[in-house]
Amino acid sequence: MFLYNHWYVAAWSTEVSGQPLARTLLNEPVVLYRTADGQPVAMEDRCPHRRAPLSLGKVVNDRLQCHYHGLQFAPGGACVRIPGQERIPASVSVRTYPVAERYRWVWIWMGNPDEADPDLIPDYRWMTDDQWGAKGDRYHVKANWQLIVDNLLDLTHLAFVHETTIGNAAVAESADVKVTRGPANVLVTRWIIDQPPPPTYAKVGNFPGPVDRWQFIDFTAPSFLRLHVGATPTGTGGPQGNLEGGIQMRNLNCITPETESTTHYFWAQAHNFDPHNQAVTDLAFEQVSTAFREDVVVFEAQQRVIAHCPDSKEIDINSDAGGIQARRILARMHDAETARQSVPA
Amino acid sequence: MTEQGLQSGWVVVCDSAKVTPGEGFGIALGDARVGIYRLDDGSLHAIGDICTHEFALLSDGFVDGDQVECPLHAALFDIRTGKCHGPMAFVDVPAYPTREQDGKVLIFV
Ligand code: FES
Ligand code: FES
Ligand SMILES: [Fe+2]
Repeated sequence: MFLYNHWYVAAWSTEVSGQPLARTLLNEPVVLYRTADGQPVAMEDRCPHRRAPLSLGKVVNDRLQCHYHGLQFAPGGACVRIPGQERIPASVSVRTYPVAERYRWVWIWMGNPDEADPDLIPDYRWMTDDQWGAKGDRYHVKANWQLIVDNLLDLTHLAFVHETTIGNAAVAESADVKVTRGPANVLVTRWIIDQPPPPTYAKVGNFPGPVDRWQFIDFTAPSFLRLHVGATPTGTGGPQGNLEGGIQMRNLNCITPETESTTHYFWAQAHNFDPHNQAVTDLAFEQVSTAFREDVVVFEAQQRVIAHCPDSKEIDINSDAGGIQARRILARMHDAETARQSVPA
Repeated sequence: MTEQGLQSGWVVVCDSAKVTPGEGFGIALGDARVGIYRLDDGSLHAIGDICTHEFALLSDGFVDGDQVECPLHAALFDIRTGKCHGPMAFVDVPAYPTREQDGKVLIFV
C-alpha cells in the first residue's frame, strides 16, 4: 500500500548531481539529476523509445540523453532531439515529477502534480538550523515501510534491541506513556522518571546521577517521524516543562517506500548541545546509527517471516496504541485516495 | 462490589486536580485497575480500566464526549455506566460510585 499525494524524500541533496541517479520510489523507476544552475530534476526512468533506463545516459546541456539511441529530454520532460529525425512529435515525452529541495534533502511529489504544494513539506528545520548540529544517512532496508513506522512509534523495543546504546530496562517498564491523535498525526509522549541514563546519554551528557528522560514521538502521515528526545538531571523540573540543563536531540526520519517489500530509510540525528562540535555530531550519529542497524536486522527478519506466510496472525499489546492509530490513519487515507481515483473523470 | 484484597467502602484514590476533562486517569487498586474521568459538565466517573477485548488500559484511550475509545481496537465504553458499545469488545466494565471531598477523589469499591 502506498500513498501518492504526499512529498517524500527522494535523496540527500549531496546524492543528486550532473550524473543521473536511478532510484525506485513507490515502485516507480525515477531518475534524478541536477541542471547546470543547480535545479534538481526528477523523471520517469524509462525512455519512451525502447524503454532503456534514462539513468544509463548522461546530462547534455541540462537535457537527459538516453544512452541507447540518443533521444534527449528537457527538464520539463519533452523530447527535444531524436537523432536522424527532423520532426519530433509533440507526444514524445517522459513523465516528470515535482521536486523541491529543503532541509538537505531533495523531495519528490509522487501523486497528482497539481497538488504539489511545497508548503506541505513537513518541518525538518533542525537539519539546517544554526543552533543544531545534524548528521544522517540512508539505509536501504529489505522490508515494508510500515514496519519502520511501527518501530518508531513503540519505543519499548529500545530495552531489548538497543541495550548497548539508547536503551535500558527503564524504557520499557517505567515509562509514563500518553497517546494523542489528530486527523493525520499521532503524538506519543513518554516520560521515564528518575532512572539511570542509557549508555548513549551517559556518553554524550555526563550526567552525575539519575535522569528524567523524555521521548516525544510525532508521527505525521504518511511516514514522517520526528522524535524530540532528551534528559535532564532528576529533580530539575523536566516533567514540569523545564527541558534545559541536560541534553536534547531530534531524531528525524523520512521513510520512503521503494517497493512493497523494500524501503529507503532516510534519517538524521540532531543535537543542540555543542552544536558546532563535529566530534559531538559524529558521536550522536554513530550511537543512533548502531541502534538503527540493529533495527534493520529486525525489519528484514520480520519481512521474511511475513512474506513466508502473509496471512499469519498478529496480536496487539498495550504499547501498540501509537502504531495502531498511525495504521488507522494510513488506511483511511489510502481508502480516500483509492475512492478518488475510481471516480470517473 | 468488593475487589480482591480490599475492604468494601470509600477509598481515596487521587487528588481532584489529577482528573481533567478530555483524558482518563488510571490507577491501580489492589488487583483492580480503575479509570477516572471528568466530563465536560464537571461530573466525575470511575469505570473498570481494562478493556474486555484484549489487554489495554482504557484510560490510555481517547475520550469523546461521554465515551472512551480503547487505544487498541477502538471499542467504545460509556464513561458514566461502563456499558460497552463494541466493536471488538462486547462485555461491559464495572462502574464505581465516586465523590469528591477536600480536593480528593474517592471511589466506592
Ligand atoms: S531506448 Fe532510448 S533512445 Fe532508444
Ligand atoms: S483491546 Fe480494546 S478493543 Fe481490542
Ligand atoms: Fe530501534
